[in-house]
Amino acid sequence: MAGPTGDKLITVDMTKQSVEVADFPAKWKLLGGRALSAKILLDLCNPKCDPLGPENVLVMAPGVLSGTAAPTSGRISIGGKSPLTGGIKEANSGGQPGQHLMKLGIRAIVVKGQPADASKRYGLEVTADGAKIVAADDCKGMLNYALCDKLAKKYTKTASFISCGPAGEMRLSGASVATTDQDNRYPARHAARGGLGAVMGSKGLKYVMVDPGKGGVRRPADQKGFGELCKNYTKSYQAGPQMFKHGTSSVVPVANMLHTFPYKNRTSGQSPDAKTLDGARIVESFATRGGGMHNCMTGCIVKCSNIVHDENGTYKTSALEFETLAVLGSSCAVATWQEVAELDRACDEIGLDTIETGAAIAVLMDSGKMPWGDSAAMAKLILEEIPKGTERGKAIGSGVVATGKFTGHTRVPHGRGQAIPAWDPRPLKATGVTYCTSPMGADHTAGLVINPGLTPDKYAYESQKSQLVNAVCDSSGFCQFLQPTLDDIRAFYGALYGEEVTRQQIADQGWQCLQDEWEFNRRAGFTKADDTLSAPLREEPIGAGMVFDVPAEIIQQVYTRQAMGDDLFGAKAAG
Amino acid sequence: MPKVRIPPPYRGPTQGTAELSVEGANVLACLEATERKFPGFLPQVLDEDGNVHRFVKLFKNGKLLRGEALREPLAADDDLEIVAAIAGG
Repeated sequence: MAGPTGDKLITVDMTKQSVEVADFPAKWKLLGGRALSAKILLDLCNPKCDPLGPENVLVMAPGVLSGTAAPTSGRISIGGKSPLTGGIKEANSGGQPGQHLMKLGIRAIVVKGQPADASKRYGLEVTADGAKIVAADDCKGMLNYALCDKLAKKYTKTASFISCGPAGEMRLSGASVATTDQDNRYPARHAARGGLGAVMGSKGLKYVMVDPGKGGVRRPADQKGFGELCKNYTKSYQAGPQMFKHGTSSVVPVANMLHTFPYKNRTSGQSPDAKTLDGARIVESFATRGGGMHNCMTGCIVKCSNIVHDENGTYKTSALEFETLAVLGSSCAVATWQEVAELDRACDEIGLDTIETGAAIAVLMDSGKMPWGDSAAMAKLILEEIPKGTERGKAIGSGVVATGKFTGHTRVPHGRGQAIPAWDPRPLKATGVTYCTSPMGADHTAGLVINPGLTPDKYAYESQKSQLVNAVCDSSGFCQFLQPTLDDIRAFYGALYGEEVTRQQIADQGWQCLQDEWEFNRRAGFTKADDTLSAPLREEPIGAGMVFDVPAEIIQQVYTRQAMGDDLFGAKAAG
Repeated sequence: MPKVRIPPPYRGPTQGTAELSVEGANVLACLEATERKFPGFLPQVLDEDGNVHRFVKLFKNGKLLRGEALREPLAADDDLEIVAAIAGG
């Protein structure tokens, strides 16, 4: 047996209101998620197009291992030209839709065109019988949770959903794409960065319903070998320290220690409120409020997702992540995790990236137009002003640069128009090199290097290594928090298709993904001059005088493939 | 002398040094010896009360130390690895 066969690719044309189901090219069998999205976009999308116009292409592509029994492997990539950066973008998410699509043998959904009537809303129903576009005007403007509740009543109990909130429908550049998680089918997972929710909204696509029906786990070519890999990998992981068993929010104190927990629009890398924003407080709350840790998708062994309840013991949000606590919380001088939980839920409802939104509000506060730490005003802004479409609401929903323009404030930390994640490029300079060179712009999941002791001669090497490993990981369906290595991934690929995948092949795959994405950006008009970060990060120090001062000649080294040895294949994905 | 392995996030104070051999009969002594060589290192591993931060794990010869980890004896050829829980999200 050759592994999974008969896979399909669905193309949806929103202009013609048509759906085509085609055979997935066999030569692409090891392409999934981010790498597949890049290949499709380079082929089908005009890089110079208006990101919110009919020429943009929205890709939804599960990873190669999604739908198999491999642990924590069900992630889905959402791709397109970003309205935020103007370059190619991939944002990926957990939840169930990636698993469900692959159980149906669907390797990607490609959405092209735009409906003639921009006021119309549509859904896409994907089942074992195929796919069809359906009217969804009754869902127009709905918040994500209410929408998914409505869809859960309309469709089968096994269905999962991909949706955009009002921010996406309004085509705001900070809009996310939500996916439903395993428990209760809440839209709590978000492919958040780069404004791909706005691309989905621009196509009039309010939701995608995926019903796997009786679609089973994908059967590998080497069932025994694949099963052994799953068993051994899981056993090894569970015998280890399981560093993320209390969630990414437990990182708060160490990030604060390293000056990479931004405070007041990144004027400091440390918050006086780190203790009340620490994820340890969330874990402590489980005893009195309920909630707990869970897996966001079937087959996850990391279980880093927290379910957060309010003081009455009622579900509030999931997962309350480190990045959200840092940028939507600390950088806006919000002092407690409970307040950030409210804001996280607000962003999930409207369908906004918590990083971009938090960074935008921090600029607003820094300009003096909202008091620092006023979480009630923030919630009102997100839940009321943004959906109403006030000028201020639209600016915040469109991200950090739009907010800078709106306020006239000049301290706007960003890279290629995208807000900087919590991980600060001033103490973490190799991560800053990633922000400058990654096709994704300032996105920590593209290549996070947390090593403040690196010498300058290693910045480009470590950034490129991390970018390459993460590109492969984000193509595989594995979650970065499982921290798989290239050797791990190629072993699973080999057993899935019954053929050896060499170290050279897997490394080339990662490099090719980056090449495809860089090529897209070159065609979009990006040049070396864009490989930088905004002035506050280069000129305003934090900690012991740290600024992002990596010379351009070092940054440019990332574009030349470095000779790498065993360290590449043992390096863990990190984002 | 026991070898102490420093995780990448903690290599600021060590100025990039990834591992070093230090004098010390147990885990705490080795960590303190590392601090003497690289001031600012120890607060990354121990909290204000002298306990191991909850986001830090210590491994002796690849085996996770539980309980009274700081008192664990270390012989000359032992390997002490520090692992820090840190990632994005």
